[in-house]
Amino acid sequence: MAKNGNYDPAFAQEVFQNVDSGEEIKMCMQCGICGGSCPLRHEMDYTPRNIFMMIRNGRRDAVLSSKAITLCTSCYSCKVRCPRGIPVIDVMHGLAHYSIKQGIIPRKGTAAFGGEFWDMVYRIGRIDEKDLSRRYYFQDGIVAGIQGMLGISRMAAQMLFHGRVKLLPERKIKGIKALRKMIDKAEQMGKGGASA
Amino acid sequence: MKYFLYWGCSLEAGGKNYLVSLEPVCEALGMEFEEIKDWNCCGASISYAGANELAIKTLNARNIAIAESSGGYDIVAPCSSCYIQMVKASHELKDDEKFRTQMNEILKEGNLSVKGTTNVRHIMDVLYNDGDVDNIKARTTKPLNGLKVAGYVGCQSVRPYGEYDSVEKPKIHDKLLAAIGAEPVPFPKKMQCCGSGIFLSEMDKCLGLVNEILEDALANGAELISTVCPMCALNLEMFQDKVNAKFGTNFDVPVVYLTQLMAAAFGMDLKKDAALNYNVIPPEGIIKAAIGG
Repeated sequence: MAKNGNYDPAFAQEVFQNVDSGEEIKMCMQCGICGGSCPLRHEMDYTPRNIFMMIRNGRRDAVLSSKAITLCTSCYSCKVRCPRGIPVIDVMHGLAHYSIKQGIIPRKGTAAFGGEFWDMVYRIGRIDEKDLSRRYYFQDGIVAGIQGMLGISRMAAQMLFHGRVKLLPERKIKGIKALRKMIDKAEQMGKGGASA
Repeated sequence: MKYFLYWGCSLEAGGKNYLVSLEPVCEALGMEFEEIKDWNCCGASISYAGANELAIKTLNARNIAIAESSGGYDIVAPCSSCYIQMVKASHELKDDEKFRTQMNEILKEGNLSVKGTTNVRHIMDVLYNDGDVDNIKARTTKPLNGLKVAGYVGCQSVRPYGEYDSVEKPKIHDKLLAAIGAEPVPFPKKMQCCGSGIFLSEMDKCLGLVNEILEDALANGAELISTVCPMCALNLEMFQDKVNAKFGTNFDVPVVYLTQLMAAAFGMDLKKDAALNYNVIPPEGIIKAAIGG
């Protein structure tokens, strides 16, 4: 692997070709306003600017296992402020997606929550909030699930009491089969990389 | 005026008070809503964990295609996450011919097609520009009499496109609050993110964001926080006890939707229309005191 400071185009090429919005980093001039604008920058191991430089340096493992790529709250501050018009958020999401597809999974919780979210969209076409949190907390078995649910139990009970939980069971949208066909086609035509 | 209301998944559950209150308010302002038939989820901001960009845009193109073929009215999204996902797809459908062709190839799998002519708008845009401030003032029979409110804008209601308000210094939320007699307090953190869709999975980190927002609102004299997004409302209201436990604070401040305040100021029923009974931190006392019962 290339050392920091050296250019190694192999990983950059991989990112341009396989990662959604990956080619956008070509415009980066390393000004750092993305990191400066990020609400969770203090929690990241690398700021987006660092990540883009590391891609050019060929530091594949460090980039794809970086927690920074899954700590994006999707607030769009970086995209709004980037003077070179890079949709930084889309690149970070693209990297996170690619990393998860490669089985690297930098942040287990967000990968699991987002994974359950997407599975539900694919399965019924909509999100049922109560089932999403149940599935999310119980992905690691019953014990972890009960612990997780207890952590938000007061909140869940309050919301139930105040009529903010949909009591009807999950229901598929009518056009779910056609929707799945469209999604399958999009997965085939778009980038994002093959499963590991 | 007629619109498609794309209320999305959250407004059927955690954001119920938003949906209940926005309908009578918009109706009073002369708006008429239709549902997008058999709509699907927008994908929100977290679907990237399981899907590629094109698949997520497909979700939104399908909704836009159905709206287009059944009237083509402007689509109104009250949820900022729904809004941003849809408006993103809509921009690309309008501006990028290659994308439009690609999307039509995908939609063909479900016998749909899209031209990209339908507008997607946030409800704040529609309230301000179509509902009209003068009209809102005229409709206000029970003004909030100087109630100090922090108008929290959050992220995805104006960023990244800034279609109807500034992306750095938005003013419309405050103008709407002023139109119903409230006093919008200066609130520098009104644009700071609440943690949005990664709140549950990164709660420890996101509690700090909520702490800063609440602290700023209260330090500037707010008695109430107004929001225009179900994710913002949930994160700001439902995690105050966890913020208190982590930071030793003592927050207990009601968080309501702008449309709930408008319903109250329009003299509507505080339960049936303003849906105040859905709030976990009760806002009823403060609002009643402001409007005079």
